Amino acid sequence: MYFKDSCPPSLAPGLARRSRTAVAVAAAGSMLLVGCATGTQPNVTPQGPDPFPAGAELSGVLNIMGYNADADEVARTRADLAGKAIAPATVKAVEGELDVQQFLSAVAAGDAPDLIYANRDQLGTFAARKAIMPIDTCITGEAISLNDFRKPALDQVTFGGHIYGIPEFNQVQIVMANRTLLEKAGLDTTDVDGSDWSKVTEANKKLAQQKGSKPSVIGFDSKLPEFLPLWAKANGADMISADGKKAQLDDPKVVAALEFGVGIYTDQGGFGSVKAFRDSADFFGKGNQFATGVLGAMPMEQWYVNILNDVSAQAPMAFDTFKTTSGQPLSFGSGSAWAIPAAGKNPQAACRYIKTISETASWMAAAEARATARQKEKKPFTGLFTANQNADEQIKAKYVDSSTALESPWKEAVQASYEANEASFSLPANPADAQFKQAWLDGVNRVLNSKASPAESMATAQKEAQAALDKAWSTLEKADADGSAG
Amino acid sequence: MASTPILKPVPAVEPDPGPVPVPELSRTRPKRRSPLKLLLWLALLAATAVFVYPLVWLVSASFKPQSEVFDNRLFPQTPTLANYVEIWNAAPLALWMGNTVLVTVLAAVAVTLSSSMVAWGFAYYRFRGRNALFFLVLATMMLPGAVTLIPTFLIWNALGQVGTLTPLWAGNLFGSAFYIFLLRQFFLGVPRQIFEAARTDGANDWQLFRHFALPLCKPALIVTLLFEAQAAWTDLMRPLIYLRDSSTFTVPRGLKAMVDQFGFAGNWHWELIVTASVITTLPMIVMFFIGQRHFIEGVATTGLKG
Amino acid sequence: MDTARTYRLRKRNRRQTRNALLFISPWILGFLVFTLWPILYSGYLSLTDYDVLNDPNFVGLENYRQLGEDPRVLLSLRNTMFYAALSVPLHIGIALLLAMLLMRARRATGFFRTVFYLPNMTPPVAVGILLLLLFNGHNGLVNAVLGFVGIPGPDWTTDSTWIKPGLVLMSLWTLGGSTIILLAALNNVPRDLYDAALVDGAGPLRRFTSVTVPMISGTLFFLVIVNTIAALQSFTEAYTAYFGAGNGTYSNDAALFYVIYLFRQAFEYLNMGFASAMAWLLFAIIMVITAIQYVVGRKLVFYEGEDGG
Repeated sequence: MYFKDSCPPSLAPGLARRSRTAVAVAAAGSMLLVGCATGTQPNVTPQGPDPFPAGAELSGVLNIMGYNADADEVARTRADLAGKAIAPATVKAVEGELDVQQFLSAVAAGDAPDLIYANRDQLGTFAARKAIMPIDTCITGEAISLNDFRKPALDQVTFGGHIYGIPEFNQVQIVMANRTLLEKAGLDTTDVDGSDWSKVTEANKKLAQQKGSKPSVIGFDSKLPEFLPLWAKANGADMISADGKKAQLDDPKVVAALEFGVGIYTDQGGFGSVKAFRDSADFFGKGNQFATGVLGAMPMEQWYVNILNDVSAQAPMAFDTFKTTSGQPLSFGSGSAWAIPAAGKNPQAACRYIKTISETASWMAAAEARATARQKEKKPFTGLFTANQNADEQIKAKYVDSSTALESPWKEAVQASYEANEASFSLPANPADAQFKQAWLDGVNRVLNSKASPAESMATAQKEAQAALDKAWSTLEKADADGSAG
Repeated sequence: MASTPILKPVPAVEPDPGPVPVPELSRTRPKRRSPLKLLLWLALLAATAVFVYPLVWLVSASFKPQSEVFDNRLFPQTPTLANYVEIWNAAPLALWMGNTVLVTVLAAVAVTLSSSMVAWGFAYYRFRGRNALFFLVLATMMLPGAVTLIPTFLIWNALGQVGTLTPLWAGNLFGSAFYIFLLRQFFLGVPRQIFEAARTDGANDWQLFRHFALPLCKPALIVTLLFEAQAAWTDLMRPLIYLRDSSTFTVPRGLKAMVDQFGFAGNWHWELIVTASVITTLPMIVMFFIGQRHFIEGVATTGLKG
Repeated sequence: MDTARTYRLRKRNRRQTRNALLFISPWILGFLVFTLWPILYSGYLSLTDYDVLNDPNFVGLENYRQLGEDPRVLLSLRNTMFYAALSVPLHIGIALLLAMLLMRARRATGFFRTVFYLPNMTPPVAVGILLLLLFNGHNGLVNAVLGFVGIPGPDWTTDSTWIKPGLVLMSLWTLGGSTIILLAALNNVPRDLYDAALVDGAGPLRRFTSVTVPMISGTLFFLVIVNTIAALQSFTEAYTAYFGAGNGTYSNDAALFYVIYLFRQAFEYLNMGFASAMAWLLFAIIMVITAIQYVVGRKLVFYEGEDGG
């Protein structure tokens, strides 16, 4: 497939030792242009009939980057199981979140880890740079049960027909609201669940309060810019075509979603005022916006339920799924995935580690550990939301449905989260996903900052996104052609 | 002629490094000004509040729990040390401090030694092309850092030093135009007879520099050390470019990482950021109070912008 | 001609030159490696497409053409100019005012001078953080004070109209250095000039415009140039407050200064060639602005001795 010859020797003549091609860490999580899809590393994907034999004896060290096994009992339990599965090979972890540049610079310096844990929407960029390998043979060799996994999550790591990673957690949103504020305004969750945008707009106006020229209660927070894909999908629009080649940011339905979301802010004094209020809020503490009654409702990631339950269990909460304009539950699925660097030195161990850490049995063991721990703290277990559908269902049946510790409204929250998880969608993977994301984020920000009308701004974003996609795909296809010719 | 049209108008750069005299009485009518006097003092006190209160606010906020950071109270309602404990656990602050101290000391010492040598070369000796060369030194001050930023990065990259602390200070081994200029002025201010006398007593060139020139210009050396220490301690851009791993961070780089992680990435832990800011700033304040006179006089006499 | 005397002198001269060059050699080496070569190489890079991972690819003037096409280049230039045009005059004006007040503070001058300089010791990262906190539109101290006197403060940190004014105001916090420089200059104004002006019956304003300003015009000129150059390269405070890893979602273009954009192009997007072209454009702009200031300054600045004092 790809050959060393297709990568020109790096760095300026007379300047470099090829192996030290380091990339500056400017800022974690910032993006990189997919300018060098020709790749820099020789491909070490093991060739042959079965490079990942299931029973093969493993050895050596497995260097993992980006995974914090000590984050909680769910991570610990599964990491222990996976560690046992690859014995006598041993694990060496570089903890902390995966830093894009840190990873790419390690790859460029010939110092790649053997396994990475990254956001699913980063894998397109990595794959385009040939920094990670397709794991199709790993999946067949280790017999990873693909049927267990949610399709939208798998789509997010599938790229040019090849699977590049195994998805792990699934992050979904539900609608969270302050019940007291809703009741006072004569509303309920159906007014703020997104199923009827005019109702949401009305509810926002009723809930929002001003003091002087500043908001004192945020009525509804549409969570722009980050939730534009959710609002767009709820309106029946896909921001990118299913094959990841065509941006559709100027779709009138996307523009309408943006108009609506921005209108929510305009009605309460503008995005600037709402954000200034939000920025100074005690988001994680017992003085959070719901507990202090300064936020009516918002769509929000499911993990925030746990925070609220921990710090302000008595807050007058109401939860429901987020809905499409036709009333169906919907969530914008995102999350992490495991992937194997192309230059990794222990792909077999990496593959078995992935298989074990993401399989149903490991999730069950993790759920057991979590349930026990929560019980000890006398707090309810609110479920696990993963990309492994089979695991989710079993955990729900075994630990959540039977739980008596769960009381209203937290019970509804968990219920809604499960429904949302079933109704999640993802943006398809593409080799320019970082730039694509930046283009639409910029598009939304221009409107939020009153620099452009929604239609104008999304037209600009469409142009930028399409140019980036075209460039990335053509570089990639050219590299593939070169690779197969050589 | 060739020398320094650009910097000629710098008035404060006189060879005389003497302290700025505290003004005595104003020249004009000493009495009948009490309402104006009152206004003057009010204005000065108001300015003092504006300059000092943000720092007081910062320190005060670092003793507040998360929910009170924005309450703008001078004294925390529920004072707590928890932020300091938590920050100690959340970030390798001791390591960052160690890195920063190392970089600061190396940067300051390196630039002082090298710049004083070069300045002495320009101040004491007469040789052909001296003015042209010195003009070149001054001209480099006009070059925006952005122009050399990328190639310099590539040099350190080629040397395998990206990711280490070396690029943050090693460039200082080659002198810095501003300090060369400053120190040369000091050397020129020393009466030449002193050196001639030393020379007749048998001092060689190095001894002349080491045992006569340097000790005579100690105040200027201290100013150089202090200014560069401050610059090295507070720098953000170079650590952003050169440091990858959080174990190699300097304190300002670490602080920026914390802003990114706790501030924007959805966490809003401002109480921790405020605390880390205090920890980052405090050493500078301490250094200022120790070297106060040198700082103020250095600024006043060099015309350095703060 | 080769008398023994000139021979000795020459030998002495040669030794002098050798020793001088030995002392100067660190700088010469540094100049060649860290200034001259980077300048040349940066010029070359600006004509290429280069991402560090692969070889530079020569593209001629393409990057310079793109400078004109990238709306962000123009935007960041406008932001930077706006910031410089607002912050430099305010900075120097207020510093001068404070310096003149300090002149009259008698024995307390030293104390106030120290206090005014204190903010300059705060690392710029911390200044950026203070900006976010103190200028928060909803709960910030600045708006609390404004509210106290009945002015509803704007959203300094989130409203794109007010972001640059907020940055300007925050930058004024560190004008203590200029105050000290101006104070030194004021102290150097000969007193008899004021006495002479008094005898001529000049009022305070007249004394200010015809004695003080001319006598410190050299310092003012220096401060204008230095502060303009610094403002045009402003980076850390705005970058800390509005850009960086976690802040991709709310990229706020109102705070996008030229050097910030250059930095992002170079080290976040790895467009080293384009960033090099940006650096050269910045160099050209700074040279032009400094040249204009210099020409104007020559007309306005009063040099003692030039016209007989």
